[in-house]
Amino acid sequence: MMAKVTLRNLAAHKIRLVLTAIAVILGVAFVAGTLIFTDTMNKQFDDLFDRVGKGVAVDVRAKKLTDDPMDEGLSAQPVPASVLERLRSVPGVKNPTGNVTGYAAVVGSNGKIVGTGQNGPPQLGVNWTPGGDYDMQEGRAPTGPTEVAIDAKTAEKGKLKIGDTARIVVQGPPQRLKVVGLIDTGNLMGATVTAFDTATAQKLMLKPGYFNDIQMATSGPSETELQAAVAKVLPANLEAITGTQLRDDAKSDVATMMNFFRTFLLVFALISIFVGGFIIFNTFSMLVAQRTRELALLRAIGAARPQVTRAVIGEAIAVGFVGSTFGLLLGAGLAMLLQGFMMQDSASGLVFTPTPIIASYAVGIIVTVVSAYFPARRAAKIPPVAAMRDDVALPQRSLRIRIALGSLLTAIGAALIALGLTGGGGNPVVPVGIGVLLVFIGIAMLAPVISVPVVKVLGAPFAKLMGTPGRLAQQNALRNPRRTAATAAALMIGLALITTVNVMGASMRASVEAQVDDQFGADYVIEPTGAGGADPGAVKQVAAVPGVDKASPFYSANAKIEGKRAFYVAGDIGDLAQGVRLKMVTGSTSLGTDGMMVDEDTAKDRKWTVGTTVPVSFPDGKTQQLRLTGIYEKNQFLGPRVFAEPVYMAHTANPAIDGIVVNAQNTDASTKAAIEGAIKDHPNLEVSDQAAVKEDARKQVDGFVTFLTVLLVMSVIIAAVGVINTLALSVIERTREIGLLRAIGISRRQLRRMVRIESIVIAVFGALLGIGIGVAFGAAVQSALEDQGLTVLSVPAGTLAVFVVIAVVIGVLAALWPAWRAGRMDVLKAISTE
Amino acid sequence: MTNTAPQTADAHSAPGAADFAARAHQVAKVYGSGDARVIALDSVTVGIPRGRFTAIMGPSGSGKSTLMHCMAGLDSVDSGQVYIGDTDLTRLKDKQLTRLRRDKVGFIFQAFNLVPTLTALENITLPMDIAGRKADQQWLDSVIDTVGLRPRLKHRPSELSGGQQQRVACARALASRPEIIFADEPTGNLDSRSGAEVLNFLRESVRQMGQTIVMVTHDPSAAAYSDEVLFLTDGQIVDRMVDPTAERVLERMKGFDQPGVAAR
Repeated sequence: MMAKVTLRNLAAHKIRLVLTAIAVILGVAFVAGTLIFTDTMNKQFDDLFDRVGKGVAVDVRAKKLTDDPMDEGLSAQPVPASVLERLRSVPGVKNPTGNVTGYAAVVGSNGKIVGTGQNGPPQLGVNWTPGGDYDMQEGRAPTGPTEVAIDAKTAEKGKLKIGDTARIVVQGPPQRLKVVGLIDTGNLMGATVTAFDTATAQKLMLKPGYFNDIQMATSGPSETELQAAVAKVLPANLEAITGTQLRDDAKSDVATMMNFFRTFLLVFALISIFVGGFIIFNTFSMLVAQRTRELALLRAIGAARPQVTRAVIGEAIAVGFVGSTFGLLLGAGLAMLLQGFMMQDSASGLVFTPTPIIASYAVGIIVTVVSAYFPARRAAKIPPVAAMRDDVALPQRSLRIRIALGSLLTAIGAALIALGLTGGGGNPVVPVGIGVLLVFIGIAMLAPVISVPVVKVLGAPFAKLMGTPGRLAQQNALRNPRRTAATAAALMIGLALITTVNVMGASMRASVEAQVDDQFGADYVIEPTGAGGADPGAVKQVAAVPGVDKASPFYSANAKIEGKRAFYVAGDIGDLAQGVRLKMVTGSTSLGTDGMMVDEDTAKDRKWTVGTTVPVSFPDGKTQQLRLTGIYEKNQFLGPRVFAEPVYMAHTANPAIDGIVVNAQNTDASTKAAIEGAIKDHPNLEVSDQAAVKEDARKQVDGFVTFLTVLLVMSVIIAAVGVINTLALSVIERTREIGLLRAIGISRRQLRRMVRIESIVIAVFGALLGIGIGVAFGAAVQSALEDQGLTVLSVPAGTLAVFVVIAVVIGVLAALWPAWRAGRMDVLKAISTE
Repeated sequence: MTNTAPQTADAHSAPGAADFAARAHQVAKVYGSGDARVIALDSVTVGIPRGRFTAIMGPSGSGKSTLMHCMAGLDSVDSGQVYIGDTDLTRLKDKQLTRLRRDKVGFIFQAFNLVPTLTALENITLPMDIAGRKADQQWLDSVIDTVGLRPRLKHRPSELSGGQQQRVACARALASRPEIIFADEPTGNLDSRSGAEVLNFLRESVRQMGQTIVMVTHDPSAAAYSDEVLFLTDGQIVDRMVDPTAERVLERMKGFDQPGVAAR
């Protein structure tokens, strides 16, 4: 029966239902969209990797030197061709094939590299192996040093066809090769593939006589049997893995990345849902308050407390169910949109697995029920006698308990955040995340107390300027501080996070600029885009430009020190010192052929002093004793350690120049133009001066800030729906009072203005709370990351002012419908309504 | 036939408890504290005879509603005992109290208090539905016919007149055959004709169905429908009147309005 009461209630208040459901719908749509989208991407990657290692029984490659997931560069030891010969004699080995994989980018007919820049899908170069991962679609396989095959999609994008001469950028000098074949790669999701014959591939991308790995099929034995047999003939630095493991590895790399991406998006989805929870909580609180009499009646005629609770919870379940259903549909649309935005060459449609469906309903219903639980409990506490009284108020717990509990939660939350940010070692995400959550809940609990003085101040100008409607609006916002506070709190969360991101962004920009001013001593820096390095030839070409004093290349790579991956920079430090404004603490910069320098922190950590010799392991499997010649002040451009250039050269199969530091007599436009002219054959190189370096950093930060802000906007939209909800329900609740105001002569316009001002006051209150918390969070993060280069705290006051203005706009928009409704109310009916 | 107060006061000790559907024994209830302290009930002892229509009258603030709320188990008392049948309500927990209200007590409110989203019939059967019991169809039919609502059963409260709504409320109270029905100013929101209909109906249910009804009212002509009127002033039973008429009740009430009598 109570179910009937519940359902009738829902049906009778459709608008109320819809408004509550919107909060659920938006949150669930975010979750569902994320899951459907990542499922779809996973499916496409799976399709892509189905081609990888097809028919491979055993793969021979370099052993991983450390467990570090970023070890790849460190372990990229080439496999000598002699191993291939040895493998042929192992029984069971069939068709052993050496593979070469590296960086090779195709230059389109417009002179630009086909494919995206630094962090996009890779530009792969491979040696063409018949029966390998790809099939030839048109033309023939490349043979000899002047021929190349490219994938069909890249050819189409670069407007190249068979017979054309294409420019191919590799790590060394750029090549002009004849396109003889188009490869069918299937959907590579934006990556490009370029194939050479084996000798050319080795020469261009690795080292003649070497392979990246050797794959083989089996003529009978099982994968593991063959693996054991192969392992016996391998040198110590190589290992044999089964084809199954090879395929799993390829997939797990992507799976790891996709999991990270999914988690990242889900975090933002959860923020939206958390905000939605506030709205639902508030709405149900108001519904219970408005239905006090009815619920008391049910109690009076014999409904037990749990029955009343269940009736309200039942309503929540229904709202959650309806919201989840629509959220799921909207989520599918969102996923489609995301797919359109973020993926190139997407072939297949959306993929639906049961996960998003189950997750949507679970999340939608659980969040609604949890949020409605406290109002439902309160509903059950309505005394039956309330059915007979006219002026009933729900029993309210004292604000004192709230203040105590709110302060406690805020303090615990702040402590957790501090712990997470400073704790070093462990993963900071969990304590910081829980801390932030607690701070939000704590502040939301304190908000009713804070709201009274703040709303008084915010409302004062309206009261002064607008007369009675302004004063009434201010009083209305003050009348139920809990409600005002809960509504504002929802807005607070989104704005707090957006503010945090913006404060961090501004601080990052300011820090980078300070670093560039402080440590960027070079006039120009030339850096390659994409994964390949710069051509040593380019260094000479730049050095020869009139007006250029010096052009010095630097390299970077990984080595192993004391069992851990150690990133290092190498180069002629004498030349580089000026470019990075190197400041020595002690020792000298003369590295010789076996020297290294580290920064102060590293030296202190390891207790090294000038003269210490340190054993360092390199990717070629060799270990060299390096001598510490100097210790320098922390330097953002150099990082923790610098090795002598000969050390890098000695242990690297295919040296890649990371960048070229240029000093010139003048830094005018003509010098820059001259340098750019000198490297016009290298479309992968970019010349930046100090301003451009700053600009690049700024762009990167801005992109990041914008991306996060967009993800957080969803929670602000949900909060805006919450403001609409609160206002609409208050208008309904005050029907009688509004009728009275109308009866004694307040105009519709004044009435609308009254609702609008209340809305603005609530929205601005929420925004101010959020901005306050956001600045605090941002400052906390900045101080925690000071050591890692976030040296300057910058609060973007202009942006924050814009947020307040946006809050006003949200207030005005949210009031539109409730204000219209209040104005339209029939005076007589309004008065006679109970 | 006007009796004096002391005779009512020993109602609890006189006949056997079985003759009373509900009793209050030295019930006291105080609201507020300090200057705002109001004694709503001042050691009231009273019995409601079974199978009779009893009216409780008194000026505003006399404590008549509070007495009724306490006797119906809707409100708690500060001291004393309240019985419905043999059950001492003051010893019951909320759960047992809820069950008692559900099974043994019916209510009629001044403001009708129907659930707006349910039809008339659904409102009538609501208490039994909440209890998860099936309505006695024969009894239900006779109640519906008595209140004359047969043609309006599918209507929502908003589609019914005030009198009809209150008749639905009466039917709701009667449908579960409670031991006692408490009516709080049942005609307060009705015009005199609708009010008379409802009161007639309440009287008939006592005479013909043997129902016990307690009604709080301040309207002498409503009180005239009852078998006996109890007068309450300043939280105490001050008088009772058997077989009242509107004139006599009005006459008696005038006495309370005189300053010095009401304000002790």
